[in-house]
Amino acid sequence: MKKYWRCHVCSDVHYGVNPPELCPTCKVLNAFVEISSAEAEKICGIAETTMDEVEFCDAIERFTVGNKFQINPDKNRVKTLLEGIFQNEKNYGMKYCPCRLTTKKFEEDLKLVCPCNFRIHDTYKDKEDGECWCGLFIRR
Amino acid sequence: MNNLLMFHGRECPHCIVMMPIVDRLENETGIKIERLEVWHNEKNADLMRSYREIIEPKCGGQLRTPTFMNTETNDILCGEVKYEELKDWASE
Repeated sequence: MKKYWRCHVCSDVHYGVNPPELCPTCKVLNAFVEISSAEAEKICGIAETTMDEVEFCDAIERFTVGNKFQINPDKNRVKTLLEGIFQNEKNYGMKYCPCRLTTKKFEEDLKLVCPCNFRIHDTYKDKEDGECWCGLFIRR
Repeated sequence: MNNLLMFHGRECPHCIVMMPIVDRLENETGIKIERLEVWHNEKNADLMRSYREIIEPKCGGQLRTPTFMNTETNDILCGEVKYEELKDWASE
């Protein structure tokens, strides 16, 4: 079961089954201590961040760096998908893929948040011209 | 309700590609496919979810759009397909 962990040096918060050995921010070893969800929520609520379409595009562009996939060069397709992703965030609170439907089970539907784990999907895995189902990410 | 359904999303590029193909099929054969948008219509979304056990095994384990479904035979077609394939599915 996933839990919340706080770096006792710099208050980085991690959500996972185990804490990171090395704090990615302050680089201190074995620095994470388990905390409650209420504490984690308070710490994470300090920084109110937003993300518009341009910032999301930058984020997923950086995500592709060093990976074997890229953003689809078809600008019209990307534009349509971004409209859907942001409509879904507005209506349902998360950037759900506009080419698949949620189940209404939140944890299960996390698998549909863009970018999803498309590398394991039939449309990408072991395919030379693989892509995520919606075609936002394609193999280089 | 028609027994041939197309579950689609307004901002789904695969669905956008399939729309004129469905138009052509309807115009050339007289077959009607009921188009149900699922991201902006909760009733349609719940209907698609109600067929989850039938759709998912044939669509990569997910409720992908577009999904074409024959509610009499539970025959499913998933994603972008060529005109002839859609016609064969709709004519069965």
